[in-house]
Amino acid sequence: MQQVLLPNNVNRFEVVHPIYDAPELKCDPSDLGPMKMSKSVRFSLLALRGYLAVMGLMLGYHMLDLAGAFGTHLK
Amino acid sequence: MLTRDRVVRLRETPVPVPGRRVARSPRARSFLTFMMVMGPGLIVMEADNDAGAVQTYTQAGAQYGLHLLWVLLLLLPICYFIQEMVARLGIATGQGHAAMIYQRFGKWWGVFSLLDLQLVNFLTLVTEFAAISLALSKMGVSPYISVPSAAVGLIALVATGSYLRWERIVITLCLIDVAWFALSAIVGPRWGAAAFNAVVPSMPKGGITTSLVFLVIAIVGTTIAPWQLFFQQSCVADKKLRFADLKWARLDTFIGACFTILVAGAMMLVGDAAFRHGLKFSDPAQMASDLAGIYGPFLRNGILLLFVNAAVLGTTAISLSSAWAYGEVKQWPHSLHKSVIEAPGFYAVYALCVFAAAGVVLIPRAPLPLIILGVQVLAGLILPSAVIFLQLLLNDRELLGERFSNKPWNNYVNWTIIVLLFALSLVLAAQVVLPNLVPAT
Repeated sequence: MQQVLLPNNVNRFEVVHPIYDAPELKCDPSDLGPMKMSKSVRFSLLALRGYLAVMGLMLGYHMLDLAGAFGTHLK
Repeated sequence: MLTRDRVVRLRETPVPVPGRRVARSPRARSFLTFMMVMGPGLIVMEADNDAGAVQTYTQAGAQYGLHLLWVLLLLLPICYFIQEMVARLGIATGQGHAAMIYQRFGKWWGVFSLLDLQLVNFLTLVTEFAAISLALSKMGVSPYISVPSAAVGLIALVATGSYLRWERIVITLCLIDVAWFALSAIVGPRWGAAAFNAVVPSMPKGGITTSLVFLVIAIVGTTIAPWQLFFQQSCVADKKLRFADLKWARLDTFIGACFTILVAGAMMLVGDAAFRHGLKFSDPAQMASDLAGIYGPFLRNGILLLFVNAAVLGTTAISLSSAWAYGEVKQWPHSLHKSVIEAPGFYAVYALCVFAAAGVVLIPRAPLPLIILGVQVLAGLILPSAVIFLQLLLNDRELLGERFSNKPWNNYVNWTIIVLLFALSLVLAAQVVLPNLVPAT
């Protein structure tokens, strides 16, 4: 960030809005490719797939139940 | 002809350069920098107090009085920690959340996250326009005028090709929500009981019931929504925040989190007025009409207008999160700095989101209050998966290095939050599979 002390002005600081500032070199993932599948990453993604499958089925069942698709409402 | 004196004065006069200001002390410099950085954190938090949130918080107050205020206080650190990670990731990479998932987890998860986001966002946008329709109908404006007008206005808001103009207007809309404090004061809240219930968890009369569990999950779902992760990271990237801005972005996020929780509490206090008077309502617009008989038309109009404001805020933020995410994945130009001609795909997705949701609302007899509560529950279900990606990305040392990666204490806090969110989802699942597990009422 450019917050430079202006020359010959000890008590004056220039503050630059981020939109108008010079661009920074960011952490760029484009050259890295996909994330390395460590055990913890692999486990997290596998657990997530299972969770989403189960919750999707349950939510679908609940919506159908609320809509009266099973005849009488369970509650 | 310039005299010597005039030349000296000209040299001393700073030339105005866009985006540059001069501060005369370190404190003024810090303040100026914060004011320049502020925006994404406040907007993402306050836009989350959208129409669905007004519905959920006032309903919580109307059904359980002040008993659920403690849930809001519990959610304050949770939403701050989650959004802080998003801001950090956005500043470190200069890219949006959808782009990060696509690049680091591959096409399958990238497409899944994008579709997931678009589905929840679209349903949520329907609820926003439903709110606009409901509230303005109570004020005598036909939905066939209010809804299309709002849609056109929301598109005009972003289509100016200026990020700063959009940000300033939206921050003003956020600050209008201060009026919720005035409305909560008008209904004469029980301040002592409110303070007590905010810090001491208490059980409502009737104990744990299905409706209580669903309402708690709906509160969590509305306070921490998946679109927020995508929105803030893209917004931070679009604003081009720099590494050195991180501490100010954190402060922005923290102030936003505090403000949004306080406003949510004020909504619950307004709902509590309905609870004390035994009023039952299906939506906040009806609540406003019912309370007008006791507190007068000012309160009624105030609630209705703030309901519309909440919906407008929610719509612009949610539609932008969709448009940014789609633009990132498709690698289209996607920035509010660009004009409609420079970024046609980005603005087309935004306009499509707005017009499609507005169109659904104009279909007669759509079950809108049910959709509003259903969306919050759906968002609560999907959130754990979005937070897992965030947590994995913030531990990606290959990409972020040590400087921006999570510290061990970050991970303890975040895994605790993830476990809590999964637990709430499992409770919801248990309610579905075993509906007689807890009493219905």
